[in-house]
Amino acid sequence: MTKDLFSGGKRLDGRGLDELRPLTIKAAVLNKAEGSAYVEWGGNKILAAVYGPRECIPRHDMDPYRAVLRCRYRMSPFASKDEHGRSGPNRRATELSKVIRETFENVVLLEQFPKTQIEIFVEVLQADGGSRCASVVAASVALADAGIPMKDMVSAVAVGMINGKMALDLTGAEDNFGESDIPVAVAARNKDVLLFQMDGELTKEQVNEALRMAVKASDEIHAKQVAALMEVYESKMAAQGGNSD
Amino acid sequence: MGKIVVPGEVVAEDRRPGFGVHVDGGKTYSSVIGLLDEKEGRVIALQGPYIPRIEDWVIGVVEEVKYAGYDVEIKSPYTGFISTKMTRAEFKLGDVVGAKVANIDEARNIDLMDPRRLTGGEILEISAMKVPRVIGKKNSMIDTIIQLTRSEVMVGRNGRIWIKGGNSAAAAAAILMIEREAHTTGLTDRVTDFLKREVGK
Amino acid sequence: MNILDEVKKEFVRDLAQSGKRADERSPEEYRKISLEHGLITTAEGSAQVKMGKTQVLAGVKLGTGMPFPDRPKEGVFSTNAEFLPLASPTFESGPPSEESIELARVVDRGIRSSNAVDVASLFIGEGPDGKSLVWSVFLDLYILDHDGNLIDAAALAAMAAIRTAQMPKFEDGKVIRTETTGKIPSKNDSVECTFAKIGDRIYLDPSYDEEVGMDCRFTAATTPGHICACQKGGRGALTTKELDYCMDLALRKGDELRRLLPG
Repeated sequence: MTKDLFSGGKRLDGRGLDELRPLTIKAAVLNKAEGSAYVEWGGNKILAAVYGPRECIPRHDMDPYRAVLRCRYRMSPFASKDEHGRSGPNRRATELSKVIRETFENVVLLEQFPKTQIEIFVEVLQADGGSRCASVVAASVALADAGIPMKDMVSAVAVGMINGKMALDLTGAEDNFGESDIPVAVAARNKDVLLFQMDGELTKEQVNEALRMAVKASDEIHAKQVAALMEVYESKMAAQGGNSD
Repeated sequence: MGKIVVPGEVVAEDRRPGFGVHVDGGKTYSSVIGLLDEKEGRVIALQGPYIPRIEDWVIGVVEEVKYAGYDVEIKSPYTGFISTKMTRAEFKLGDVVGAKVANIDEARNIDLMDPRRLTGGEILEISAMKVPRVIGKKNSMIDTIIQLTRSEVMVGRNGRIWIKGGNSAAAAAAILMIEREAHTTGLTDRVTDFLKREVGK
Repeated sequence: MNILDEVKKEFVRDLAQSGKRADERSPEEYRKISLEHGLITTAEGSAQVKMGKTQVLAGVKLGTGMPFPDRPKEGVFSTNAEFLPLASPTFESGPPSEESIELARVVDRGIRSSNAVDVASLFIGEGPDGKSLVWSVFLDLYILDHDGNLIDAAALAAMAAIRTAQMPKFEDGKVIRTETTGKIPSKNDSVECTFAKIGDRIYLDPSYDEEVGMDCRFTAATTPGHICACQKGGRGALTTKELDYCMDLALRKGDELRRLLPG
């Protein structure tokens, strides 16, 4: 099934090959969770929340040397514009929960909270391509909002091949009809690759090109993550022991 | 007042280990969202779990009665423990207690001493990060609240505050006001004015 | 259950003895309510309600399918609720809890009894294989932030999502989602009002702490002038006089909630 994903040299939504879709991030959107974030990215609407560190349950999962990180990625039954999805976990959600967790296991300073668990919950309320990357972006902000100590923040974006060309930040349609989808998560500071998946059939040079595009875009995404946190914290700033008046 | 930093942001060009920071390859980075103290290269966290320090007063709830002592939930990832060797008092499941952190070992076992049961009254929970503001410089803020409301108040560093008697509703409202407006100037005056109005009603 | 809940319980009950509430509301007052609809464009209908700090999202999706064998000319309406673990430290991942199942069924009952979704008008016809084909309306209630009274918030969000939903087109045996044909057929607007009994007091719209301290709760779903579903929850007891008071107040407060519905 092929589809022409270009029109007059531009993508169907008018973007160039290395342009991101509109991305807005809000931190601290939930009351009960320790930390939370809401991301709207193209047609994606993602809510992430963090609980912990708190007691590790079940006890036998507890690690005496570090916190146990858990991650649950789920799509809502109304996230797709097609059929109503059945609720409950599915194999794709299980795999994504794992790769997202492993992304953050790299940066969260787990040794600071032995014997506890830290939980990341991601709910995809609406999906339109790149939801796992949007989830990483949201979760990173939620972790910072919760005050969980981390080496660095993490941003993520998917690159793909559409009609023979490498394009940044695929939409759902581009992912469906394109030849390859490559989600990448990078640590903001040193650009370590923390999540990397790929499908399709590409040359090594093409994959390297995809990585280069993702790393380049990560700065723009990271800036928005930081801005979302600043917006909340600049207005919530605590004084130190009452020395402000 | 310093600027706000986020995880991964450089806070010093040399190695300065401490709370709220992460040292990597010769430089120091913030590990949490916090306020930067540029001179010292320290970060004061604006959010995060309460990590008890020795000498902190905390308010907890007895969640298990054991032979050797009591497990106390102190709104922290770790549980406090009152050994029967440390106290003659007897506590029951569900008792609210105020106690002092005596010791914390590497396994994060937290020993509490000097426990006292807090009966009646109400427990307010606020962010542990805002507690210093509620106390004020040399207890100035909390003393003002106690004086004007005539309530008994015990402030736990873990973000729990026990209030009993007097105009406890006004005391609670004042404390919540401090939590909301902790970053602003002129807060002491506003709190004092608020309490004078409330108590005068 | 959080060990601090026992302490909260006493505090709430003490306040109730003098007729007071921790947030200083009157016994018949709702917290601040805000309602937004159409926010999830992949759903045929959606709405988010904030009631105090409680936040609930409702999504409505349509599909086609076979009717229930005992109601061959009626469409299918089904409700599911997710108590998302991100909404509260007390919600765990895993199979639906009895609370989430109860909430889904109570919201469903209010809509079904009042024909707020008029299933009799959702019959499509005979399919090519001679089997009946009907519309299926899927209502999903997503609890995002739990500070008490999830039922009223969910029911209001559900009704707003249903009212503003746009039905897709059905042509040549296929659902065409890019074209819409109007609203979901509906005979009534149903909303729900929940009361908590704390000692001798009855309080409308309990907060989380009030739910911790309550003896039991009572919910009444209403349409203008009628009660269309009821549910008592919790192990405490209600007198018939208290039930009469609640139903009376539910009819009045229901009209207030209905005025918030869009469309």
